[in-house]
Amino acid sequence: MPTYVLGVSALYHDAAVALLCDGVVVAAVQEERFSRLKHDASLPVRSAKWCLDRAGITAAQVDWLVFYEKPLRKFERILTNAVATFPRSYGAFPRQMRAWLGDKLWLRGNLCAAFGVRPERVLFSEHHLSHAASAFYCSPHDEAAILCLDGVGEWATTSLWRGRGSEIEPVAEVRWPHSLGLYYSAITAHLGFAVNEGEFKVMGMAAYGVPRFRAEMDPLLHLEPGGGFSIDMDKFSWHWHASEAGGAKLQAILGPSRFPGTPFTPTAAPHDGSPSEIEECQRYADIAATAQDQIEDAVLHLARHAKAAVGGDAICLAGGVALNSVANHRLAAEGPFADVWVQPAAGDAGGALGAALWVWHSVLGNPRGPALRRADIGRDTPIARSREILEDLGGRPEDVGDSAPERAAEDLAAGRVIGWMNGRCEWGPRALGHRSILADPRQAATRDLVNQRIKYREPFRPFAPSVLAEAADQYFDIPAAASAPVRFMLSTAPVRDAARGQLGAVTHVDGSARVQVVDADSSPDYHRLISRFGELTGVPVVLNTSFNLKGEPVVSTPVDAMASFTRSGLDVLYVDGLRVERPR
Amino acid sequence: MGVFRRAWLTVASEFSWRMPGRPQRLLAAFSLAERGSMMDMLAAVEATTRRDMRRKYFVHALDEGRHAKIFADRVRDFGQAGRADAALEDSGQLLQAGIVGGQTLFERFGEEKFLAFVYVAEADAVEQFNVYLERGLPDDATQATLRTILKDEVFHVAYSRAEVEKLRKEGRAVDKMCRDLRLARVWERYLRFSRDVGSFMSGIWLTILYFVVLAPFRLLARTEPGGWQPAATPGVDRLAAARAEG
Ligand SMILES: [Fe+2]
Ligand SMILES: [Fe+2]
Ligand SMILES: [Fe+2]
Repeated sequence: MPTYVLGVSALYHDAAVALLCDGVVVAAVQEERFSRLKHDASLPVRSAKWCLDRAGITAAQVDWLVFYEKPLRKFERILTNAVATFPRSYGAFPRQMRAWLGDKLWLRGNLCAAFGVRPERVLFSEHHLSHAASAFYCSPHDEAAILCLDGVGEWATTSLWRGRGSEIEPVAEVRWPHSLGLYYSAITAHLGFAVNEGEFKVMGMAAYGVPRFRAEMDPLLHLEPGGGFSIDMDKFSWHWHASEAGGAKLQAILGPSRFPGTPFTPTAAPHDGSPSEIEECQRYADIAATAQDQIEDAVLHLARHAKAAVGGDAICLAGGVALNSVANHRLAAEGPFADVWVQPAAGDAGGALGAALWVWHSVLGNPRGPALRRADIGRDTPIARSREILEDLGGRPEDVGDSAPERAAEDLAAGRVIGWMNGRCEWGPRALGHRSILADPRQAATRDLVNQRIKYREPFRPFAPSVLAEAADQYFDIPAAASAPVRFMLSTAPVRDAARGQLGAVTHVDGSARVQVVDADSSPDYHRLISRFGELTGVPVVLNTSFNLKGEPVVSTPVDAMASFTRSGLDVLYVDGLRVERPR
Repeated sequence: MGVFRRAWLTVASEFSWRMPGRPQRLLAAFSLAERGSMMDMLAAVEATTRRDMRRKYFVHALDEGRHAKIFADRVRDFGQAGRADAALEDSGQLLQAGIVGGQTLFERFGEEKFLAFVYVAEADAVEQFNVYLERGLPDDATQATLRTILKDEVFHVAYSRAEVEKLRKEGRAVDKMCRDLRLARVWERYLRFSRDVGSFMSGIWLTILYFVVLAPFRLLARTEPGGWQPAATPGVDRLAAARAEG
């Protein structure tokens, strides 16, 4: 009888489920793809049901359900923190207690009730251990240093581990309230973006600025000679305020915070702002650039310490900060490790997979399995149902069968922007050619069109290119150490000078791109699509952005796809072998 | 109930629109509610087994999505971009306001009761908008917005009523269903209100607790230093450790 382990992460952000059958991933899905609520943190009941159905089992057949963190240890941290920040935390305390007393403290019972497993089958990992396990066990490395960087788990906000075979051993940690993730979030909020959502926007904005505030901001995030870091907690409020991370003291240093939704018109962006508006935007861009620069330096600093303390050639990363693709590039290009590996769902969703793998390898003592090479381990829809849905919703699908990739390439070459839904959903926040909006990458005008007419998002945000593995080197300067992260779109790379003219829509203002390298083994259909586009245009690169509209999770079903298709300016929709054209 | 509801709407509309800052808040709330119903209608498209209904639910969903955007744009006209964006983007607010979360309406009710619910809720919305328009609230531009949206809402009432009538002909007790749903909606509103009161009260108690019980411990508290700290080594019995919640 096979052993089933169900990993669950929930109740903070990005709830998810991962199901293992004898250590092999059956499926891993984020609850937002079912509930359609972006970053949904509720107990991922729908995801679990889908995964069990996929495996053809019932909840009674689950051998172990593992939650990705230790709730009581987290509660202890919250209580200790309330005492330590007394009396300033008087506003946060009732809120936190309500959430805990109402729900989170009774987790074992709630998990049993929600997922239908018996209490003696429920286990609890630790937050950073789950991150570490997700990074190491999914990697191809038998030995590696593991670095986890996020907001906070139980106590740890940054942790270093040594991975060897099926063992993960803790080395050191940086503890709450000192947190790189929360530092970046505080700056995100200062720049007028939503925390846990706008961090990518800060990264995009940073390219428009120069890090000219290092003198002011370096005392806030101090890199210590011992290889760690500390935060000047006096200037921040995330450890005591109910909703703010920055506050008055931060504003005294950085100036007033940016009002959410204000147009962003720095010098280098297309704008119609007045000189004073431009100057103000430039200041925000420079703050973003400084914070980004600091985070990159911090990641390098921590990685150098990891090299000294753990050694080896490879480093595995997880935690929300590991989604910072610019920092990952610098780690690969300048850092001490020959190989960098980042788990595609590096945020808290990934904890579900990590917790399950930890139980399988570390608790149950099983040897390592193959590395995670593809990200399409999520939800899919049988073609018969897709056809029925598309017909019923008035899509008039054309059956293009196995030639969908080639047909799609021809659409792209003809200047159409397409919604591309193919096979199973990706694991992690990036769309990697299974739930993507695709377009011709050659003209900068395409970027503006997709931003304005399709994604309805800020004009300063860049789009990513997907390139054939065979041609990657010709277009991008990818450091050898980044060869794994670029497969999951987790590292940027400079666009080669000669190629910039051909990649106007996907080259960011600083000459970089968040490239995805596509190989025929792990993404056969997508590889065919890009190959054909290359044959037609001479450029084996496409513009790839996640298939969703502003404020919504990435589409997962044909219904989601049709809803996004109909409400946006997409020209053509592909759902597996079916092609739908926008009615004229 | 109709008379009570109308009286309540009339009183509430004055309060809702005339207080400073309220129109923006209300419009943002409308935007959230419209977005919530878009999601419920899309969930119905996903879940229904009646192929003839899929298209209707879908068109309905697209209408609600458009309404969400129209209301958010109106909030933006008041110079409240942040609030408008939150209404359109932040799904956390949908959860907090109890608009979505847990089961979808379709999962909760099944198809027939869901249709009755759509009919009841849409009819309520039409009545609510009409009260605002009759009273000339709140301003010309918003009234124009309401009129545009009202056209769609009237259609939503019409098609759901037609479906409910079909059910009646098939001998279903639709009147009782609608009556129960109306009562349930009032009851849920009461529950939400009492939950708010409850959380307000518990907030007071917890604040008192905070100042009385936590204060003495202040002396013992220490703040964690930054930098690398040694990590705890795991125990030998891993399964026992894994069972522990703390
Ligand atoms: Fe985390
Ligand atoms: Fe509506
Ligand atoms: Fe409606």
